[in-house]
Amino acid sequence: MDHADSLPMKSYVGIWIGLLCIAGVEVFLTYRGFSRHVLLAFLLILAFIEAGIALLYFMHLKYDRPILLWSFVLSVLFVLLMMNQVWPDAYRMVSLGLH
Amino acid sequence: MSDTAATLTHGSGVVMEPSPYGVQSKKFTMWLFIASDAVTFGAMLFGYSYLRAGTPDWPQPFRFSPSILNGMVMTAVLLTSSLTMLAAVAAAKAGRKSTCMQWLGATIFLGAVFATLHLREWFHMFDEGWGLARNPTGGPVMFGATFFSITGLHLLHVLSGIVALVVIAIGYKTSWLDQGHVETTGLYWHFVDLVWMFVFPLVYLMNAAR
Repeated sequence: MDHADSLPMKSYVGIWIGLLCIAGVEVFLTYRGFSRHVLLAFLLILAFIEAGIALLYFMHLKYDRPILLWSFVLSVLFVLLMMNQVWPDAYRMVSLGLH
Repeated sequence: MSDTAATLTHGSGVVMEPSPYGVQSKKFTMWLFIASDAVTFGAMLFGYSYLRAGTPDWPQPFRFSPSILNGMVMTAVLLTSSLTMLAAVAAAKAGRKSTCMQWLGATIFLGAVFATLHLREWFHMFDEGWGLARNPTGGPVMFGATFFSITGLHLLHVLSGIVALVVIAIGYKTSWLDQGHVETTGLYWHFVDLVWMFVFPLVYLMNAAR
């Protein structure tokens, strides 16, 4: 059996409303006049919260064996983390004034 | 019957250990695809972010109306399609075939609405002079390249998902496919929704004219 448990549809509707609210907050924050870096931080945090909720509840990882979550999600996050090596070069391009 | 039990006697008497994941092979395969696809989208978003960070005069062309408003509606439509997909999977698990078909139909419809809104946004941008290598403001052209590549790949996933859902709906209705196929396709559809949760803030909101 793949799923030991799952939520009733009423709970999924609640999660759906919550995700819509988070998307609304993202738009609200966009027009609050934050600096680019602060806005990016807010938007990324909210996007990861949304993604976590979708993974756990919509994609049922919460009800599958934990090894599924640890194997796939952690490995993807690790690869994405390793991609962060590009930033020094991106800012070097700005400092060189190539544009 | 679980796949775990099947693997124990698979082959010519070879005893195999049970799957540590405890899921059907098709669902496991979908997870492998999702992991690789997540890295693909991640790499594209990193490429876009690299160029954006390294370009001082990066354009921010999206006005609240129509672009951001359109993106908000697209987000709501895609999130709602995930909900209808969940209802389809729940109906399939309960063996309610006609109810499942209705929810699958609703998901396909919402996917088509999303794609239509997406294309409307694209054509609006084409009218303004944006293109893969065109910037009507005279600034860097990489905005168009990254925007159309990322949203184009996502749109391709939505369109592929619609086709997959149609095939699954027909297969499930004719009992050629089972509820496991509906669930596995649902997993893909939710992933497409998940990707949009990053594309909308990073590609649209971060480029909103403020």
